[in-house]
Amino acid sequence: MELNTTVTIDEDKSIARVALAGALNTDTAPGFDQELQRVITRGLNLTVLDMKDLDYISSAGLRVIFKAAKQTKAAGHRLAAANRKPHIDKVFEILKALPDMAVFANDQELDDYLESMQNKVRGD
Amino acid sequence: MKNSIATRLIAVLSLCSALILGVGMWLDYRLSREEILERLKNESQETIRAAIIDMENWLDGVEGSTLFLARILEQRDYTHAGLEQMLKDIVENNADIYGSTIALNPVITDSPGGFAPYYFHRDGILTYADLASEEYAYQEQAWYLDAVNAGKPVWVEPYFDRGGGETLMTTFAVPVFRVSAQGERFLYAVVTADVPLDELRAYLRRLRLGDSGFATLLSRTGIILSSRNPDYIMRHYSDARSDTVDLPTWRDMLQSALAGQAVTRQLECPDIIGRCVIRMDTLQSTGWPVGMIYSEHEITAPLRRYQIRTAVIGLVTLLLMALAVYLVTRRLTRPLTVLVGASDNIARGKLDTALPTVRGEDEIAQLVMSFDAMRRDLKTYISDLETATASRSRLEGELAAAREIQMSLLPGGGEVLEQHEGYSLWARVRPAKSVGGDLYTYQQSGERLFIAVGDVSDKGVPAALFMAKATSLIQQLLAAGESPVTALAKLNNALEAGNDNCMFVTLFLGVVDLANLELEFASAGHTPPSLLRDARVGVLPQDDGPALGLAPGLEFPRNKVQLAFGDRLAIYTDGIDEAFNEAAQMFGPERFNRGFGDGAALPLEQAGAALFDAVDEHAGDTPQSDDITLLLLELPVQGDSRSTSRGVFPAGEGLAGRVITWLQTALEEQALAPDVSVETVLVAEEISTNIEKYGELPAGSEVLLDLSISASTLAMEFSDRGVAFDPLRDGKRSELGADIESAEIGGLGVHLITQLTDEQSYRHEGGGNILRVVKLLDTDSA
Repeated sequence: MELNTTVTIDEDKSIARVALAGALNTDTAPGFDQELQRVITRGLNLTVLDMKDLDYISSAGLRVIFKAAKQTKAAGHRLAAANRKPHIDKVFEILKALPDMAVFANDQELDDYLESMQNKVRGD
Repeated sequence: MKNSIATRLIAVLSLCSALILGVGMWLDYRLSREEILERLKNESQETIRAAIIDMENWLDGVEGSTLFLARILEQRDYTHAGLEQMLKDIVENNADIYGSTIALNPVITDSPGGFAPYYFHRDGILTYADLASEEYAYQEQAWYLDAVNAGKPVWVEPYFDRGGGETLMTTFAVPVFRVSAQGERFLYAVVTADVPLDELRAYLRRLRLGDSGFATLLSRTGIILSSRNPDYIMRHYSDARSDTVDLPTWRDMLQSALAGQAVTRQLECPDIIGRCVIRMDTLQSTGWPVGMIYSEHEITAPLRRYQIRTAVIGLVTLLLMALAVYLVTRRLTRPLTVLVGASDNIARGKLDTALPTVRGEDEIAQLVMSFDAMRRDLKTYISDLETATASRSRLEGELAAAREIQMSLLPGGGEVLEQHEGYSLWARVRPAKSVGGDLYTYQQSGERLFIAVGDVSDKGVPAALFMAKATSLIQQLLAAGESPVTALAKLNNALEAGNDNCMFVTLFLGVVDLANLELEFASAGHTPPSLLRDARVGVLPQDDGPALGLAPGLEFPRNKVQLAFGDRLAIYTDGIDEAFNEAAQMFGPERFNRGFGDGAALPLEQAGAALFDAVDEHAGDTPQSDDITLLLLELPVQGDSRSTSRGVFPAGEGLAGRVITWLQTALEEQALAPDVSVETVLVAEEISTNIEKYGELPAGSEVLLDLSISASTLAMEFSDRGVAFDPLRDGKRSELGADIESAEIGGLGVHLITQLTDEQSYRHEGGGNILRVVKLLDTDSA
């Protein structure tokens, strides 16, 4: 199975949106790792992994995400996951891989979160 | 102490002796009483007779003197002075005579008044009186006339002799007759002797019988001469108001007495205590009745004294005897009382309690000695028992430990339920003693399921040790994948070696090919298995060989049976069919097969337990005589048929991808829930990634994936020729949580494998790794 990733960058809001479609498995994980690294190194405040179309994830794929989460945290940025399907959610659950990641069940939650982020920036 | 031996002995012995003594004394009393009464009667009569004889003697003396004087006067003539002198001499010298006279017939005297000198004792002085005075006129006196009229000596009725003796008296008067010269007989004189009534009374007073007894004397005409009451003297008895005896009785008795017949009457007398006795007799000389009245009560007083004395002696004897009995029984029972206390103490466990000291060799002493012996024996016995109990509980503890160890040799520790996608297996062993000689075991190797059920001869510890040896050998042989026939032959040789005790094992050893359901088995003298198919139970025909361990180099025939889906197989030891009930009837294969068939609808575990219950119910209270083992094997029913497929993948880069691609295709054919497919693929990817990255697979080798899906299970078995590695145990399972990103590659995968499947097993077999995972399917949604 293949993995297609679509990266959308909003420089103004300092947000990167990475949409995953297909399977993030042993085979696709290394490619996705490189792509995600490129996005993270841009130093945006927030990187959102949109898993709306992600059908499958294995431990190799999760490692990539965990590594990215650790890196963004070290840089003072955030990595968030949105729109996880139930079985994807179950894998996250089993491996207890949630502590440092914001998780949004759907787009609405994500938008609300972004809104609050904006307000926070303005407030600063 | 109310019921003590002493009390009862005293009571019983006292009662008995009182009875014996009482009867003896009563008999003695009866005999003595008659004797005493007789004696007393005689005594009283003797007293009376003696008194009467005394009186008779006295009166006889008076009579004699008077008759003598009369005799003299018949023949000789005396002057008046001479007569007087003679008379004076007689009265003076004869104390018995109160007074005496010689009254001459006045006709023959010179003086008209006659001649009658009278001498008498007045107050002890001899006194003279002349009776020939005109005042006295002796010839008219009764004593003179009576004698003259009678013409022979008479005793005159008592009278008061006025002018003569001047006292109450009676007189013995003797007429003296002479014959004249013409031969005519004429009265010459009357000679008399007087006896005063006082003197008579004095005699009678001596006649006293008892305090209230008295005598009475009457004249022939019934004048009372002497009585207790002085007022009655000289009165006729009928005038005297008698307060003792009524008149008719008195008259009656008097008449009898006057007729010369002594009479004795016993009457009730008012003034005398008890009965009074009246004895009436007569004086021979005078013919006067003499009556004796006395109280029988007083006379029999000695008898009563005797009675009282006897009673007192009896009572004292009885008391002394009771005392003696008390002392003797107390002496006898004192050791018993002490013994009772001692036995109480001993019963409380104080075995060193002192026993009473006894002397001699009587029964009590023997009892105490026996008791002491018992106490000593008991002490020894208890101490022995304590030792025995201690060693017994130690032995029991060891046996319990041995049982645990023995059971741990068997899969599931003596009872096991194995639910597998290709089969279900349930087995249970129950030794008759703490440890036993029955065994079961099974082992799956790929599609081959090995089953063994065996029974070592005998039971208990020797059988258990032999069973342990046999079990470990069997497990080794099964692990080596030997065929039943070969395994039995090898096992036989191994067990035979050094088997000097000639222990042996009957064994069923079979292998089921789960792919084609073929059962191949060999039997070493074991009970043939029963097969339940389509609700009918049959016994599998078998060619069996001898029991194992007795002779080397034996061969065992091979049996092959084609099983079918839905079959249920029961393999058991003879502890089941040879279970006896109270009537010594065996449970038997028929009963077993019936029970096996009855449980067809039950789940395997319950069916097995029901068969155990049936055996127990049959045996009742009869203790289990042999170890019991039952193994049930069930193949899934037809509708639960599996689909199996195998993927073969060459080692090398992209292994996981190839595995997933094949698996996804394979799974598409199955109507599985989408999440089950996804999770199965994920698990397969994790496993194959691990094999690819860490297996160091030899170039050109292959990785096999056997996929097996039934209605209830999905199983994947990965086989590879890589380095021996059990990811379930040896995998560096990463810590979950914050530091998960630092986990080693593969370390996370193991978490996913164990979480997303229900069973995982690893074995290294034939130089390769075999990892098997099973996922139970939710049958409702399938």
